[in-house]
Amino acid sequence: MTSKMLRPIILNVVTWTLVLMISFPLFWMIVTSLKPQTELFRIPPTWLPETVTFEHYWRLLTETPFLRFFRNSVVLATSTTVFVVALGTLGAYSLVRFRFRGRETMAMLVLFTYLLPSVVLIIPLYLMMVWLGISNTLFSLILAHTTFALPYALWLLRSFMEGIPDDLENAALVDGASRLGAFKDVILPQLLPGIISTALFTFILSWNEYLYALVLVNSESVAPLTTGVMTMLISAFNIEWSLLMAASVMMSVPLIIVFAFLQSYLTSGFGAGGVKG
Amino acid sequence: MANVSFTNVRKSFGEFTALENLDLEIHDGEFVALLGPSGCGKSTTLRMLAGLEFPTSGEISIGGRVVNDLAPGKRDIAMVFQSYALYPHMTVGENIAYPLKKRGMKKPERDEAVRRAAELLQLEPLLHRKPKQLSGGQQQRVALGRALVREPRVFLLDEPLSNLDAKLRSYMRAELIELHRRLGKTMVYVTHDQLEAMTMADRIAVMYGGRVQQFDTPDAVYNRPANRFVAGFIGTPPMNQIEGTVQGASFVIGDHHQAITRANFAPSLLDGAAVLGVRPEFVGIHDSGDGLPATVRLAENTGHETIVTLELTDKTRIMSRVEAGRKLRVGQPVALRFDPAGIHLFEATENGLRLNLDTPVAAAQPLRTA
Repeated sequence: MTSKMLRPIILNVVTWTLVLMISFPLFWMIVTSLKPQTELFRIPPTWLPETVTFEHYWRLLTETPFLRFFRNSVVLATSTTVFVVALGTLGAYSLVRFRFRGRETMAMLVLFTYLLPSVVLIIPLYLMMVWLGISNTLFSLILAHTTFALPYALWLLRSFMEGIPDDLENAALVDGASRLGAFKDVILPQLLPGIISTALFTFILSWNEYLYALVLVNSESVAPLTTGVMTMLISAFNIEWSLLMAASVMMSVPLIIVFAFLQSYLTSGFGAGGVKG
Repeated sequence: MANVSFTNVRKSFGEFTALENLDLEIHDGEFVALLGPSGCGKSTTLRMLAGLEFPTSGEISIGGRVVNDLAPGKRDIAMVFQSYALYPHMTVGENIAYPLKKRGMKKPERDEAVRRAAELLQLEPLLHRKPKQLSGGQQQRVALGRALVREPRVFLLDEPLSNLDAKLRSYMRAELIELHRRLGKTMVYVTHDQLEAMTMADRIAVMYGGRVQQFDTPDAVYNRPANRFVAGFIGTPPMNQIEGTVQGASFVIGDHHQAITRANFAPSLLDGAAVLGVRPEFVGIHDSGDGLPATVRLAENTGHETIVTLELTDKTRIMSRVEAGRKLRVGQPVALRFDPAGIHLFEATENGLRLNLDTPVAAAQPLRTA
């Protein structure tokens, strides 16, 4: 009997410990960003700021290129998402609906990029960008992000696509739709949850990406938030902690908002990927 | 005119040949059932007619026009799928209107056509619901509505009733017969259920192993099966098939001599091994006397008749259909007599052809003996 009582208690303790451990850095990030400079390094530290200040946010927005980085990140993540979803949807459709030689091999090969650490891929990718004459542009980063987000997106969308019965499309064809018409009228609406979860996944990946952005882009005018903020605030001599934390909070806000609205799609996406993948 | 014809059609998927030498001539306004066990090629036949599969060779034409290379939407056909394939994100009304929309019909006319179809199928109160909110029978009617709203030349139905429960199925069967009578359109109906085929179709194409075994009226398919497969597939229980030998004017089963009239059979019937076919209703059970000796193994009373399973001395099992009140003990020895009018002879090969010359059987009446 006691073990029956104990079980939920232990489960709760473990879960909440994990939740606290994961959320503490977030909490500390917010707290730090709101403390005035003088309170920052006090020992013992204050758990909640004695005086709340938004000066760091203000400084970031008015005195630094933060907004430009932010804009770059938005363009980068959005374009990558559009590319990946468009290509992934069409690719998944052909993988599921058409029978052709080497279909499975191709699907497996696409995943091959995941076997290599991205450090290995960066140099060839950089050289290719130089050769194409697009190095040090936002577009080169969009392409680079597309290459690493597309394989997973393709597999995710494929498992969603497999859940749509062939007969739905056949019915549309018999009803007078063209193949593209049937795709638009019947497949896309059915695929919407899959598209949303893929888009979300891609957006987050691209928004948080650091390594490619660091190597492929070195001009401040096209740097996204991740590298832009880092190089701006962290130098060999000094780390602007309060500004860094304020920047981190503002970087996280868009993701938190998107996530709050669409998280059910994201989790269903991971479920679908898990079953088939 | 919307006659449908398949001329020497072959379909293979890689190494596997799904259909061979398919020749079917379906008349305008006819209700034809494609009947057979799963994997016999009936669905492939229908899908080729719809344009969802393409024949490897041969010709398919609708209304005299070859449609081999025509997209499904250009064939002027409508199809009802086994899964109904209703568009889940559209309402019932939008589902029914979809084929009209794809053909560029204006909204007011579309609404009018949807209203007529909904009225015909009693779907009016459901027009604004989503397919998920409907029962199986209602979904089935929506699928029918979507098919008939645009008045196509040919209707294709792929096992449309198999997802319904038994009671609803028999109701919908009657509805479909009525609908066909009213619309007078060519209908091609795929089913594995012989009851559906027998009750609804003008003609049945019995298919097996990628070939049409017989294409004839329900009456002919039942009373004059072309070969052993058809004889064993049609009828519940199906026709008994007993191996034996022909010797002059008798068919010998073990020690028993069954008299046959050689004049009723084709000249190709020679002395030697053959198969005797007899439907359960032509197998008379007698307590004693002359006849094929057998033992009662099972008697199933269905209320209006009794289906009796009998075992011959060589352990072959055969079935008989007798009146409901008949008292039979399990293990009881009996003598079986076959009504001569109900006797068919087949070649002894695996799917041997029937060798009767058909005049007497057509007039035969089931024999009910006490």
